[in-house]
Order: sequence, then C-alpha cells, then structure tokens
Amino acid sequence: MTREKRHIIKRILLKLLLLALLLVVLDVIYYFTLYPKDLSENCTLMEISQRAKEGVDIVYLGESSNHTYSEDDRDKRFICEMVDDFLLDHHVGNLAKDACHAGVYYDILANIPKENDVKTAIVTVNMRSFTSEWIYSSLETALRKEQLFMKKAPVLYKRMLLAFKAYPIWSEDERWAIVRKGIENQTFTLPHPVPYHNAQEWDHIVAANGTLYNGIQPSADSLSMACHYIKLFACQLNEQNPRVKDLDRIVTLCRRRGWQPVFNILAENVDQIDSLCGPDLIYLLEQNTQYIANRYEPQGVIVVNNLKEVRDCDFRDRDFPTEHYKQTGRLAIAKNVANAIHGR
Amino acid sequence: MLFNSIEFLIFFPVVTLLFYLLPHKPRWILLLAASCFFYMWFIPKYILILLITIAIDYSAGIFIERWKDQITRKKTCLVASIVSTCLVLFIFKYLNFCSANLVALAHHFGWSHPNTVLNIALPIGLSFHTFQSLSYVIEVYRGNQKAERHFGYYSLYVMFYPQLVTGPIERPQNLLRQLHEKKELQYDNVSNGLRLILFGLFLKMVVADNLGTYVDKIYAAPYAYSSCDILLGMLFYSFQIYGDFFGYSTIALGCALSMGFTLIDNFKTPYLSGSVQEFWRRWHISLSSWFRDYLYIPLGGNRVSVPRWAVNTLIVFTVCGIWHGANWTFMIWGFAYGVLLIIERGLRNFHLFDKIENKTGQVILKICNIAKTFVIVTLLWSVFRAPSFGTLRDLFTALFHNGTLPHQLQIAPVAWIALSLFIATDIVIRNSRFDVWCSQQKAVVRWTVYGVLIFAIITLSSVEQYPFIYFQF
Repeated sequence: MTREKRHIIKRILLKLLLLALLLVVLDVIYYFTLYPKDLSENCTLMEISQRAKEGVDIVYLGESSNHTYSEDDRDKRFICEMVDDFLLDHHVGNLAKDACHAGVYYDILANIPKENDVKTAIVTVNMRSFTSEWIYSSLETALRKEQLFMKKAPVLYKRMLLAFKAYPIWSEDERWAIVRKGIENQTFTLPHPVPYHNAQEWDHIVAANGTLYNGIQPSADSLSMACHYIKLFACQLNEQNPRVKDLDRIVTLCRRRGWQPVFNILAENVDQIDSLCGPDLIYLLEQNTQYIANRYEPQGVIVVNNLKEVRDCDFRDRDFPTEHYKQTGRLAIAKNVANAIHGR
Repeated sequence: MLFNSIEFLIFFPVVTLLFYLLPHKPRWILLLAASCFFYMWFIPKYILILLITIAIDYSAGIFIERWKDQITRKKTCLVASIVSTCLVLFIFKYLNFCSANLVALAHHFGWSHPNTVLNIALPIGLSFHTFQSLSYVIEVYRGNQKAERHFGYYSLYVMFYPQLVTGPIERPQNLLRQLHEKKELQYDNVSNGLRLILFGLFLKMVVADNLGTYVDKIYAAPYAYSSCDILLGMLFYSFQIYGDFFGYSTIALGCALSMGFTLIDNFKTPYLSGSVQEFWRRWHISLSSWFRDYLYIPLGGNRVSVPRWAVNTLIVFTVCGIWHGANWTFMIWGFAYGVLLIIERGLRNFHLFDKIENKTGQVILKICNIAKTFVIVTLLWSVFRAPSFGTLRDLFTALFHNGTLPHQLQIAPVAWIALSLFIATDIVIRNSRFDVWCSQQKAVVRWTVYGVLIFAIITLSSVEQYPFIYFQF
C-alpha cells in the first residue's frame, strides 16, 4: 500500500469516527425531541407493553379472539376479563391486539418495564398462525413496522430501520406468490396413504373435484370453507416453523424474567372441519397441538388445550375460519385457562 | 434494489470497498455481478430481457464497425438493431396500450378486433437502458465510438448499477471509456460521492415522499377537495417529482463518483428557468440531449424552414411524452410542450421586452419569467400525473368549482419544512452541485449540514413506501 493510499484511508477512518460521534449526538437529540411522538404514532405495541403496570400479576397476550364481535352476546367481556373474574386473587392485564402472533407477543413481553409485578404470562396460541396465510398476511407489514420500535437498540437506529423500510413490503401479487409457495411447503404425513402430500395439492384436489372427503358435493360456500381449512391447518409443526421459534423465544424470556408461561391453544371449529374435511385434518390439528404440549410442557410451560372446547354454534363467522367466539365459547376458554392457573 | 432501502445501505459500501480492494483487471466482473444482483433484486427473470437488448446491440456495434465502408450493409445493420431493440420496448411497454386503442377504434366503427393483452409487468427501467443501448449503436454508426469487443465491458456499460434503473442515460464516449480506465482511490471522489448520496436521500425520502402523501390523496379523489387544496396538490407534485427524480439521479451520481466514475448531471435547477426551452435544457438533461442528438438534429434541427421546424418540435416532444409511458396523458403532455416551444419562439420574434435596460427591470422580468415557466410546468405536471383524462377533468373541475369548499388537506409541518429546505438549497446551490458547494464551506458548516441532513433523513422521512416515480418508465 502506498503512503498516499494510507493517508487517504486514515482520513476516511477519521471522518467515520466523526460521523459516529455525530450519530450519538443526533440519537440524544432525537430521543428528547421527536421520539416520543414517533413512538405514539408508529408503535401502539409499546403502549400495550406498558399496561403491565403495578398490581398486574398475570398478563394476557392475544389477538382478536379475545374480544366479542357478536351483537347477540349479552356478556361482552373479553376472555382476559373472564379469566380475571375467575381468578379473584389475581389481576389480569389485557395485552392483546388484533392480528398478533407469537412473534409480536415476544416483543410485547420483552418490553414490559423492569419494575413489574408479573408472575404469569398467558400466551394465546392460534393454530392458524403457524401457516403461510397468516405468516405472510397483509397485516404483517404494519405489525413488523411496529416491531422495529420494540427492538432493544438506540432510538435513532430504530427510526432509521423504519425510514429505510426494513420490513417486508409486498405487492398483493408478490404476497400471494409467497403465500402459494408457503402452502406448497406445508407438508405432512398421514397414517394412511393419500394422493396429496402438501396443503396445496390437497386444496387443489378438493377444489378441482368439487367434492368433499366423503364424496358429497357441497355448496360453493362450503367448498370454499373446506379449502380455507385445508390451507390454514394442513401442516405438521416442527422446530423450523417461525412461530415455533417465537414460542421458544417466549419460553426463554419468561424463564429469564421469572414468569410462568401459559400457552392457551385456541379452539377451532372442529365440528365444521370434521364435516367438511374429514378426520385427516382433525388428525393433523391434534398432532400439532400434541407437538406443542410435548415440546413445551417439559420446559415448565402450562399448555391449555382448548382445540375442541367450542362447538360450531359458538363460532360467530361463517364465511372464513376465525377464532371469533360467542360468549359461551369465550367463557369455556377462559374457564379452562383459569383452572389451569388455579390448579398450579 | 431501491436506493432508499436497508439492503442498499449494505450493498453500496460492500461493493465500493471490494471495488477498491480488487486490482483493476477483475473489477468489471465485480461491477457486472453487482449490477446483475442489483437489478435481479426486483424481478430476477427480467434480466433476460436486458441480456437480449445487450446481445443485439453488442453484435450490431461489431458488425457496423466491420462494414464501415459498406454503407448499405452498415445502415441495414443499424436499422435492424434499432428496430429489434425498440421491438422489445414496444412489446413490454406499448403493446397493451396499442391493442386497447385498436379495440376501441374497431368498436367505434363497429368492427371486431381481438384484444391482445399481455399479462406482464413492465421491466424496471426498460426505457432507460433501451435508450442507452441505442445511443451506443448510433455512435458506433456515426464513427464517434469504437465498437466494444469485450462483451463484459459492454454489458457493464448498459447495466452499470448506479444508473441502470432510471439513468442518467449515458453516452458510450463518457461511460464506456471510464469503465476501461484504472480508478485509484481518491479521497475527494469518495467524500463527494457520499455527499451526493446523502443529499439524494434527503431529496427522495424527506422531500418527495412527504409531499407524495398529499399528492396521492388529491389525485385519488380530486372532487372531494377545495380549489386551494388542489392548487397545493399540484404545487406539491411539482416538487415531489423533482425531489424524487433529482434525488435518484444525485444518488446515482454519488454511487458512481465514490468509485471514481463521473456521470452526466441530469438537473440544473430547472424550476429557476425563465422559459420552457430553458426548462428542457435543465430538466432530465440526459434524456433531452438524447432526443436532441438522435431525433431532433437528424430531423433537421434548427436548419430548416419554420413550419418544418415546428413539425419537428412537435414530433420530438410527442415522442418524448410517449417515452414516459403508454398513455394518452403522456402524449398530450409531450405535445403540449412542443406547442409551447413553438409559441415561445413566435413570441421571441416580437422582441417584447428587449427595451428593458435598467437592472431592477431586468430582475423583475427574470422573476416574472421564472414564475410564468413554473406555473406552466406545474399545470402540465398535472397532465403527467393524472392516471386518466377522467381524473384530469375532475381535477380541473374541482380547481375551478370547489372554491367554497372548506380547506381539507391537513398538512403536517414536516412537509412545509421539507419543501422550504428544498427550495432554499435549490436556490443556494444553483449553477453548482451539492458536493461542490459543500467542499467550499468551512468544516463547521459542512458538518452542521451533514447533521441536519442525516437527522432529517432518519427522523423526518415518510414511514410509507413510495417507489421512485421514474421506475415506471
């Protein structure tokens, strides 16, 4: 290296050092000026984390299943409120937000202030959240944007990630291409031979033939629901699944902070799944809930399996598989969760 | 890959560092690989289209040079190259438009015509690299440029990542020559390059994107807004498109300069132009000079009769309009500029203001001319921005009829701050360039400017994603 080159490199390194200093100063300026406003505008999750304030010893993390959509409900209480009512000696804090999943729950939990009274963290486990349509949902972009602000990093760095769009931005076409690819990768093995090996093949067969597993030709709406169920639940969980990884992180975090994790596996409409897709899909769902129990119970997690706890009539939505329960459904789940905690 | 993405913040320093670490000989491989990677980040398969264009014009260049004394063969080769390169452009950019118009025309006359619709996305930057590739073949044909024998270097000339997607459209005499030169690490190049990148990011992320929020609202439903809102929307779009495109070009210049390559300046404070003619000498210079050299002058340039000149001007500007997009609005936009230039030339013959001799009078006249040109350009940008004539009609109807509606557009202070900063910098660094201006300042001023720009880019940039406007062309 020539002397001149060395000199240039020295100058560049010096300027980089100056730049680093400048960034530190800007970080401080940002923290005291625009950051509070940015945080309130771009990160509601942080506000949710702060709800675990003094006196809250149980936090309930969930999504839209927590509250009611049914106008017929006389009891409008959220699941977390019902749990609170069942557990008279405890105070349950509501840390739920629509469309959330284990990845977001982790960030919410990680940002709970150091000064807290939390002893137990109830984490909702939605079986749909493990498959592609949810993982690559159109709602994911907004959540991932919010998650940027939840990172443990200098505030200016977090805002830079937001400015330079360090989150997935998909056009609808791109997103569907990714979802399709994901559904193709939802592979499984059933105890008996079947002409399909992944969710996409299964979905295609049902959609193309227009018949259900039992040979019945259903209405267009029922056929559509059958296809939805297959795409949303036909998979076999393993440790590579991003949501499983998130649950792993949650367990580690809870252990570190001395919280008792409770995994609340949500109920699915097994009555309808059974009638539209047959016992094979129920088998896969059971396998997956069993996988969660087998994986996390030995690690000290209380796993509450509500998979079959709610009957068809207690599901509100009829045109898409959701976990929006009527009051009896919510009550059944809350009761099971409360009992599990109480019995501990 | 977008310049304003986190991936690019990693890509750029890595490529630049590797460029200087490597000896001169294999650098073209690094730059070509980096350019392919950069392009394939969008839609990988479209690189094949680019390769077709490259292969056609690379071969054409060699054959044209080989047959330099055989005029007919040389000409045939040139025409074949231009036609085939333009055919690729036509298929991807204009086929659907032509087909839709033919169907509409046939329907009008009661004939039947099949509607051929290609369900494909326009490859990003197709018009830009097509024009860059064409300029090479034409320059070889004219004997101004030796045919490039090295396929790698030629590919790099078309694909050089800083200017691959939205220009500046480079000439082979400038870029191809530089690609062969050995570039040494020079402090000034690196620091000026980084200054340009910083300024470009500010223009795009702080100015253009923040204004874009309001522009999108206005153009999505113009009838819902008051006349005052519409005027603001139009004004904002003028600065959005300027900030967006100028920003991209500035980043491109900065990236290239960091590695020692000098690209053509694409903008020279266009909104300070005193006439439409001057505006086109200062706006998108690489495109306007392309049209001047390869269309306007071959048609006869200024050395023809006035009627012929007028026709040529209309042709050039209409083609320029179509180049921007396959839509009647672009065509009308270009044609309108042609008409305005003809009117301007006509008015110049009357020597209306030649008698103003005192300084104050001249300054006032200059300001009036700048204002007049800006109003014209802004009005025409609305034709350019409107997705259809329906929107344009709604926009102007609202402009003239919604005077009594309450002011609805809630503009955040950040938009005004960004706009004011942009205007101020444009005036301060007129007739110069940001990097040059910076290097003339004291260290304290320079670092204060860096601090302000970095702070603005990180904390004031829009949280919504706005692709570069010229990507669609």
